[in-house]
Amino acid sequence: MVEMARWRRGAGLAATALLGAAALAACGGGEAEDDGTLKMVVWGGDAEKANYQARIDLFEAANPDTKIELQLIPSDQYEQKVQTMIAGGDGPDIMQVAENVNSYSSKSQLVPLDEHIEAAGLDMEQRFGPAGDLYTYEDQTYAIPDRSGAMVVFYNKDLFDAAGVEYPTAEWTQADAEAAMAELTDPAQNQWGYGGAGWWAQWWSFAYQNGGQIIDDSGQPTANSPEVVEGLQWANDLQYQHHYAPTAAEYADMGPDMGGDQAFAAQTVAMNTTGFWGIIGLKEADFNWGIAPMWQGDQQAVSGFGSGLAVTRDAANPEQAFGAIDFLTDTEAQTVVIDEALDVPANLEVQQSDAFLKPSWAPEGLNMGAFGESSEFIFRAPFIPEWNEMMAAFDDNLGTFWNEGGDAKTELDKVQTQLESIIE
Amino acid sequence: MAVLPPTAVTEQAAPDGRKKQNTDDTAQKRLSVFKASPATYAVLLVVSAIFFVPFILMISISLASVQTSAENAFTVFPTEFEWRNFTEVFTGTGLPVGRFIGNSVIIATLSAVGQVISSSLVGYAFARLRAPGKNFMFILVLATMMIPAQITMIPQFLLFKELGWVNTYLPLIVPNFFTNAFNVFLVRQFVSRISNQLDEAAQVDGLGYFGVYRRIILPMMWPILTAIAIFTLTHAWGDFMGPLIYLNSEESMPLALGLQYMTSTSNAMQLPPWNLIMVGSIILTLPMIVIYYLGQKYLYEMNLQGGSAGVK
Amino acid sequence: MSNVVVDEAPGAARESRGAGRRRPKMSKRRKKEALYFWLFISPWLIGFVGFLLGPMIASVYISLTEWDSFTPPEWVGLDNYAKALTEDPIFWKALWNTFFFAAVSVPLGLIIGVWLANLLNKRVKGRKLFRTFIYLPTLVPLVATAMVFKMVLAPSGPLNDLLGWFGIDGPEWLLSATWIKPALIILSVWGAGGATVLLLSAMNGIPRELYEAAEIDGASPWRQFWSVTFPQITPVIFFNLIMGLIGAFQIFSQVYILAPGGNVGGPDNASQMMVTLLFQEAFSFYHFGYASAVAWLLFVVILLFTLLAFRTAGKWVFYETEVK
Repeated sequence: MVEMARWRRGAGLAATALLGAAALAACGGGEAEDDGTLKMVVWGGDAEKANYQARIDLFEAANPDTKIELQLIPSDQYEQKVQTMIAGGDGPDIMQVAENVNSYSSKSQLVPLDEHIEAAGLDMEQRFGPAGDLYTYEDQTYAIPDRSGAMVVFYNKDLFDAAGVEYPTAEWTQADAEAAMAELTDPAQNQWGYGGAGWWAQWWSFAYQNGGQIIDDSGQPTANSPEVVEGLQWANDLQYQHHYAPTAAEYADMGPDMGGDQAFAAQTVAMNTTGFWGIIGLKEADFNWGIAPMWQGDQQAVSGFGSGLAVTRDAANPEQAFGAIDFLTDTEAQTVVIDEALDVPANLEVQQSDAFLKPSWAPEGLNMGAFGESSEFIFRAPFIPEWNEMMAAFDDNLGTFWNEGGDAKTELDKVQTQLESIIE
Repeated sequence: MAVLPPTAVTEQAAPDGRKKQNTDDTAQKRLSVFKASPATYAVLLVVSAIFFVPFILMISISLASVQTSAENAFTVFPTEFEWRNFTEVFTGTGLPVGRFIGNSVIIATLSAVGQVISSSLVGYAFARLRAPGKNFMFILVLATMMIPAQITMIPQFLLFKELGWVNTYLPLIVPNFFTNAFNVFLVRQFVSRISNQLDEAAQVDGLGYFGVYRRIILPMMWPILTAIAIFTLTHAWGDFMGPLIYLNSEESMPLALGLQYMTSTSNAMQLPPWNLIMVGSIILTLPMIVIYYLGQKYLYEMNLQGGSAGVK
Repeated sequence: MSNVVVDEAPGAARESRGAGRRRPKMSKRRKKEALYFWLFISPWLIGFVGFLLGPMIASVYISLTEWDSFTPPEWVGLDNYAKALTEDPIFWKALWNTFFFAAVSVPLGLIIGVWLANLLNKRVKGRKLFRTFIYLPTLVPLVATAMVFKMVLAPSGPLNDLLGWFGIDGPEWLLSATWIKPALIILSVWGAGGATVLLLSAMNGIPRELYEAAEIDGASPWRQFWSVTFPQITPVIFFNLIMGLIGAFQIFSQVYILAPGGNVGGPDNASQMMVTLLFQEAFSFYHFGYASAVAWLLFVVILLFTLLAFRTAGKWVFYETEVK
């Protein structure tokens, strides 16, 4: 009978719990539809979240009748989560997009914005310069640039001074860069000249500097052209032939998730090529550092980073969503992007303002003009709809190459074959 | 393919239907096979140590200072003792960690309740009741285990979306009230080994099938149901894929997903706050260790002994 | 599947089944019992039909189409299956990797599990504590496991330090196409303690009389293990084998969290498994049709190996019923 009593108590508990769950569901339910609230998803970290929120606050203050609900999704789960939401007809109104924008636009997941751009009288060329048509697909605009900055060279002034090497400039050639790396490398001290170029944005820059292209103007893959091979081989040799950059094994030994960005912050590498976001991580660095435009090859070329804001098919009121994007990419809101050292604002006017060129948070004499200077030679990366597959083709085939070194031609031939089957 | 010839094991069952306790010390003491030699201890110590090293590393990381964490300069054994991290995790991450824990408790508890109720009903039926098509149904139950979960993910999402359950805990909890193959199997095994003399007698006394279940079988099922509760709790407690798909707001996330957020939302050029993430991981692990430690008695009474258990 | 036999539960009278077949009409009592059976299993049945069967049928249909999960699916018949089997080199690589992983990790996990369970079944002081330690790995959250194992498996990490003591120059584990699979196996063996739960439960249920008889015969503990313990627990070992096979063929999260740079393929696709492949195809490339086809091919593979295991079972799995 004790057992009986126990069962009865248990059943009672269970029933109560169930009711609780139902109640919970009722109040937790996402009735965000049609009450004029816009749902906006972005990726990134705390800094991103705070920054977007600050800009949204500005928007809401100016438009009291529209609310934006911001949702931050961890970067590595962003696509899957957004895809599930969209596939379930529960997509956000506004979403952040970047290189793989056209996997959405080619599948009609994003609303073309040209009509709204026209209605709002927005001059894309004037507001964003060359970045204005970055997110066009088949002659239609699918996203408004929001953040946009070239990759730049971060260098550790202390280490450069100690080695007696001149600071990098845009006039440096690949050979100059290599010579500097040699001077700055001291394996005995666990110090390397360069953080490495294993990321597409890095070694593609070298390939484009050589005059190569990953996908040519007619849309055909040219991943194994001599120029691209040369660029990749150089990048790899820096790491595995000359050992001017830590090898993959050495990075793994430094700890989980270590890469050039973190190694630069730890003063392990003297130079690192990355985007504006590097600055925020260095705000509290206890060494002297600077930034410079990317060095050059036969010609100047560098990767651009950025992201845009797009309106999805699920937006109940695309016009209203566009209005919000318009506001967020206009001068007032874009200034916030600088205030917190988050990124380079896509808005040209803001980019050229003193707020950007002489920000209060920057160390004395930081060459913020490097971004403006670089924007003139940013190469146009192929934002094909199959971007993710293209990335996987590189990752899969270059895995061992980047971990152990090897022959660029052999690997790129494999990549090329795979790209040809991906891009039909 | 198939399954389980549970024989009646009446000869082993005590009159109350419960199996004789085999673990009594006097019986064990006499038997050499149960004697623990120094070698046994040595092996167990070494193996436990090896299994424990990653956990020591977790503790070491959780006690590391911000500086050490930012430089990834962790050691296997703790050299720093930043106990502050254990409060810092609640205040210094910008995420409502206390809330996460509460959410985890709600999801895991309700999931366990659901599995216990439903698996006891279904398992009982497969063990005791006869019906045409029963064998086929049982094979079907087991076959469902072979379907990769990823493939039903999108169709399931569409379904829950139609039901209006997205952004609630219902998709995470409700399926548990419809049991799963593994638990049905465990209950069926367990009940099969309970003597049927009692329920036959009860039936003669006019007790219906539900009565037999509720008054005779259910009270004897506690060991297996506790085991199922433990399995479900640990699984629901650690799951982050389900919550990732179905929950949108930060306030509703369970701790396992919250930790995932902490690792991937760090800022560029900075490493995730590994020390705090490990504190979170320890907070996530400890309740399960306690539950396992206290509940293991039941786990070992699941009655899975040879002859009747397993799949044939 | 011809030798499929599911025996009746002990509560059932033995002749019932045959009797039921011979007589076309069931007795009223039988009918009522059958009704209750369906009533009792209705929670599972509703769940199956509602949450699984629908999505499963949907996935069969999707596997016969080209579908990006956004725009309407396009019917392509068996093309996706043909593509996987004849065109896609990664499919075969993933299949081989998965097979390799299962073939090593499942038996290894079982041997270690049985060995540990046997030790834990002895009268060891602090046994509850030891059992908890050995079960512990299955309780640690995935994020923590991932981070810790990235450190443990670093080229100069603790594991290679340990190997160094024995004069072994450890490999680069996760960075090497050759060693990433062994690294995944190490991670899965670390969790082998999970198997001890069912095994200990089985050992706990072995009648002490059997050991007493063996003791009188003068059998050593080692002999007693092989002549009493092992045969008695073979059904549970077999059950663990089946569950282990199903689990190993569906390996996903370990790869997902350990693969360097979040690239599930690993170096040269050396760690690409069936489920990571279908995950990538579905959620990265938006090839839902192809991913569904891969899933069903995986289902067939699992089914084949499960059936194979059943075929061998008669040779080594011991059932009380057979000796009685």
